[in-house]
Amino acid sequence: MLNWNVCPSLYCLCQDHAEPLTSKRLYLPGHILRAPLSLRCTGRQFIWKMSRAGLSCPGCGSSNVVDDDLYCQAQLVCVDCGSVVSEGALADDYVGDTEISYSRTTAVAKKPCMNLIKGLQRVKAICRILRVNGEIENLSQTYYSQAYQHVGFIRVSLQKKEVLAGCCVLVSCRLLNWPITMGTISCLLDADPMVVGVIYQEMVKILNIEAPIFNIADVMEAHSQEYQISSLHVPEELSENSKDLAKRAVALVELAADSWIVTGRQPIPIMMAAIYLSWQSLKPNKLRLKFTLDKFCQIAKVNKLKPAMKRITELKEVLCKLGKEIPWVNEAVTPDNVVRQVEDIVKHRYALLRRALRTHQDALLAECQASCEDSLTEESAPSQEQNSNASFLQQCELNAKRGRRDGDDNPCTLPELHSDTQDNQGPAPNWGKRMLFAPPCVIHAKKRRVEQRVLTDVTGDEEISDSEIDSYIRTPLEAREFARTQKMLSE
Amino acid sequence: MDSSNDEALDIIITNVVATFRVRCHLNLRTIALEGNNVIYKPEVGKVLMKLRKPKITASIWSSGKIICTGATSEDDAKVGARRLSRVLQKLGFRVRFSAFKVVNVLAVCSMPFAIHLIDFTKKNRPIASYEPELHPAATYRIKHIKATIQVFSTGSITVTGPNVQNVATAVEEVYPLLFECSKPLCK
Repeated sequence: MLNWNVCPSLYCLCQDHAEPLTSKRLYLPGHILRAPLSLRCTGRQFIWKMSRAGLSCPGCGSSNVVDDDLYCQAQLVCVDCGSVVSEGALADDYVGDTEISYSRTTAVAKKPCMNLIKGLQRVKAICRILRVNGEIENLSQTYYSQAYQHVGFIRVSLQKKEVLAGCCVLVSCRLLNWPITMGTISCLLDADPMVVGVIYQEMVKILNIEAPIFNIADVMEAHSQEYQISSLHVPEELSENSKDLAKRAVALVELAADSWIVTGRQPIPIMMAAIYLSWQSLKPNKLRLKFTLDKFCQIAKVNKLKPAMKRITELKEVLCKLGKEIPWVNEAVTPDNVVRQVEDIVKHRYALLRRALRTHQDALLAECQASCEDSLTEESAPSQEQNSNASFLQQCELNAKRGRRDGDDNPCTLPELHSDTQDNQGPAPNWGKRMLFAPPCVIHAKKRRVEQRVLTDVTGDEEISDSEIDSYIRTPLEAREFARTQKMLSE
Repeated sequence: MDSSNDEALDIIITNVVATFRVRCHLNLRTIALEGNNVIYKPEVGKVLMKLRKPKITASIWSSGKIICTGATSEDDAKVGARRLSRVLQKLGFRVRFSAFKVVNVLAVCSMPFAIHLIDFTKKNRPIASYEPELHPAATYRIKHIKATIQVFSTGSITVTGPNVQNVATAVEEVYPLLFECSKPLCK
C-alpha cells in the first residue's frame, strides 16, 4: 500500500518520489478512496484507471476521462493530459430527502419555559389554598398553559401572569360549579380588583369560554363562613350557626332579587346586609337589635363595607312593604320593628308579594277612578267626553284584571295604565314611582337639570363670519402681555 | 303585553368625536400664544382648544391632525371643525380643511321599564356579558354594525357606534330583547 502524505493539488502523493507535478492540474487521490481512480504522476509509477464513457477531453481529445471524487469536490479528469474536464459542486448534493435547517440540526431538546412552569405551580398553590377538587385544578392548569402561550399574554409582565393564574382558577371554579368571588381572588393575589377584572375578561375572550353568571345564592354559604360568629368566637347570646345564618340570608337575597335590589349591584355588600339582617332576625331580642352594622362587623371580624348600609335600608323598606300585608300583625310595621317579623315574611314571602301587589294595584285603580270623577265633575260633559271617560274607566278595570291574572306568575309587574292622562304629569321617569318594586335609583330618581337646547337646523356647511373667528384670537397686545406674564411666572 | 308602542323612544346624542386634517404643519407655540381658550400640553405634544359655539374641544397636533370632541350632532361637529380651521387660518397657517370623518357617536336612551340583567345575559349569550363585580351594566356588542350597548337595570342604555345611523339601528335591534327581559323569570 502506498503512503500518501503530500498535498494532492501540487505534489505526487506517493512516497517514492515527492515531486511537484506539472502545472496542469493533476488530480491525485488521498488515501481515502472509495473507488479506484486513474492517476498519473511525473514518475509514472503506477496508473489506476476508471474511465468515463462518452466524454472527450477538450485539451487532447482523448476519450479517457475518469470520474474522480477527491474530498468533497467531484471532478471529471482526462487521464492522458491531466486536465480537468468538468467540476462538480464544491459541496455534496443532498442525498437525503428533505432539507434540514441549521437550527434544527443544532437544536437540543426544547426546554419548557421556566415562567410557565412556575405559573403552573402557582395555579396549583392557589387551588390548594382554596381547597378545590382535582378536576378544577387540572382544568385551571390547562387553561393557564393555553392562555400563557397565546400571543395576547406571552409578553405581559410577570405580575399580570400571576393575575392570569388567579383568573384561570376563577373561571374553572365557575364552570365546575364551585363559585367564588373575584374579591377572593384579588385578596389571594393581593392585586387590584380592576386589574383582575380586565385580565379576566381578556382571558375569557381569548380562550372563548362561556362561564356561567355569578349567582349570589351559591356563594353565600362560603361567604357566611368568613363571619366568626359561631359559639367558639363570641358569647352564647350573640352566636349563630353558620348554616342557619346562610339559609336565612339566601332567602333574604332571593327576596332582594325579586324586588330589584340585587340587579346591577356589587354582590358582597348585599351579602353582608343579608347576613346582618338574618343574624338579627334569628334571635330578635333587644341585645341584637341594638347592634349596629359597625359593631356586628367588629365582633365577626370582617371589614365593613359602606354600601352595605344602603342595602340594609333598601331591604328593610321592602320588608316593611311586605310586613304590612301580614294579616295577624296589628301594629304598624316600621323599619325599626320589622326585624321581628322577618321570619314570618321570609316563610310566606311569595304569598305576601302577591298580596302587596294586589293592594298596590287596587290603590292605583282607586286613584285613577277618583281622578276620572274629578274631571267629570269639573267639565261641562258633552256626551262624547262621558263616553271617552267611561271607556277610560273600563280600560282601567280591564288592565287591573289583566294585572291580577299576571300577578301570580310575575310578581313584579304592573298593568300599563292609560298614558294619556298621565302624560301631563311628567315624562317617562315617572313610571318608577307608580311601581311597587323598582330599582331604587328609579324610585328615588335624581332631579336632572334639563338643558334648554335650541334645536336649530345645522347643516354643517354654513358660512362662518369673521367676527366670530376673531373672538378666538388674541390681539397682538394681549399676546405680548401673555408672553411677558409667562416669562415672569417662570422666573 | 303588546310591544308596539305608540310613544317614540328619545335617543339623546351626548357626544360626537370627529377627526380631520389641515394638511400643513402647525406651530403649537404660536397657537398657544395667540389663541384664546387654548391649553398647551408640551409633554404630550398637543394643544387643546375649546370653542364656545358649538361647544367642542379640539386636540391639535403639530402634524396637522385634529380630533374634535363634545359636539351633539354630526353637523355640529362639522361646523365646529370648520370654525377651528378658520381660526387656524387667521393665525397665519395655510390650512386646507380635509378628511373630515365622524369616528364615534355616544348616545343615551331610557326605557320605560326596568331590565333584569341576569335574564338578559342568559338569553343573549355570548353576545351579552355581565359581571356584577366589575361593572353594574351588561354589555351587548353588535358586530355587524360595530355598536356597543351598555344596559343598566334601571332601563337606561348607552350606545356607542361609528355614526348616528348605526346607533339608531342598534337601539332598534336591542329594544325587543330588552322588552322580553323587563319581567323577571317565572318562579
